[in-house]
Amino acid sequence: MKTNKLLLYFIFAFILFSSSCSKKTIPFASASAEVNFLSENDGTITMRALGIGANESEAFTNAVFNAFDVLFFRGLPESQQKNPLVGTNESEERLKNKDYFDNFYRSRFQTFVMSQIPTSEIISLNNGQKSIAIDIKINLTALRKDLEQNNIIRKFGF
Amino acid sequence: MKKKYFIGLIILQLSFFNLINGQNTSTKSGQVITVQPKIMVIPYTKEGEDLRTILENDANKRIAITKIKEAFDTRGFTTVDFIAKLKSAKDNNVFTTDNQSDIKTQIIQMSGADIYVQAEVIAEKGQTGSSVKLILTAYEVSTGNSLSNKVGESGRFYTEDYNKLSSKAVESCVEDFLNIMQSKFNDIVNNGKSIIVDISFDAGSQYKMSSEIGSDKLPLSDQIEMWMEKNAFKNNYHIQGTTDLKMIFDDVKIPLKDQSTGNNYNPNKFALELFKFFKGLGLQPAKDIKGSTIYITIK
Repeated sequence: MKTNKLLLYFIFAFILFSSSCSKKTIPFASASAEVNFLSENDGTITMRALGIGANESEAFTNAVFNAFDVLFFRGLPESQQKNPLVGTNESEERLKNKDYFDNFYRSRFQTFVMSQIPTSEIISLNNGQKSIAIDIKINLTALRKDLEQNNIIRKFGF
Repeated sequence: MKKKYFIGLIILQLSFFNLINGQNTSTKSGQVITVQPKIMVIPYTKEGEDLRTILENDANKRIAITKIKEAFDTRGFTTVDFIAKLKSAKDNNVFTTDNQSDIKTQIIQMSGADIYVQAEVIAEKGQTGSSVKLILTAYEVSTGNSLSNKVGESGRFYTEDYNKLSSKAVESCVEDFLNIMQSKFNDIVNNGKSIIVDISFDAGSQYKMSSEIGSDKLPLSDQIEMWMEKNAFKNNYHIQGTTDLKMIFDDVKIPLKDQSTGNNYNPNKFALELFKFFKGLGLQPAKDIKGSTIYITIK
């Protein structure tokens, strides 16, 4: 009887431990990376990004996430930010700086967006999902400084 | 009894979490700030051009240089001011020759710059408008390794305002130029920085590179290479050439931080290790360090 109770306590403790350690879902953008360079000027960059989601709101948010993902992990050809800001090894970088990216995609990303304007009507896809294209202008200088301050990337120099 | 077990388990769990968090914090706070390289932006000069007057007469070059320095400042990096160094060199009568390329070398050496960025401004005027092209190149002073290269263009406009065109040419490429430089810096952090090691003999020395010394009686050049293999960062070194009287390593990688203490590491510390190695072989070495080049002379 006593052994059973002890076992129950251990199971309870294990559940408590594993629930507190479990991964929180990062709001990954949809797999699409249709982001194209439009213009850049004095620390800002403007891109056209496509987002896909279950509804208009989700598609719009995914378009914004796509734009940031490309800057962080892919780099944007034709712009001066051809190299990714963080690195090409996306999964490793996300895991290494999980707290930062969780927090960033939860709400902080909005503070780096200077404007986000839809450039297409919402399109219904065959699989029932919605798609939208937006023009998004990002404060690149502030974004880079934020990554530096949070030790996600190195400051210029060694 | 139940309560006791429960409280005990909770305490155990909390202390386990504290242990994990504590480890993370100590790793984050254990960072050592590395000594940053000195970077100087200089104008490109053709052979025979007077470096001292070229900047004073050409506003486009001054604008280009200032814009490049501004880009470094935006990234939170302070550069060595070339114009101030030039003035100070003139005041102190540093220049001893009329050869202009020598003056450039002298300024680079005098400034103690580790990296210099050379900016060439080409202004063009045609029937379809005016334009400015900019060639930017960054070099490591010690080895001459190229760190970043970019060509910027202002685009063609019907204007005589070359100052504005120079500005536009810099803006078109400077961010990309700095990004590439940063990726090279990251490579230096991961794979070490380059130094040159020049080993030679004093005129009255009884030793040669072929002299068999040490407990295992191996030729000196082989002893040196074996040591270099062990001590160069990640076994990364390159021998330019070996003769009986000289051995030059034109690229030896050393770490930015001491691998055991985590403190900053520099060519001086590497030279000391090399000095100890020669002493250990029963030789009398003399060491001289100039920038990132180590000169060892065996007496």
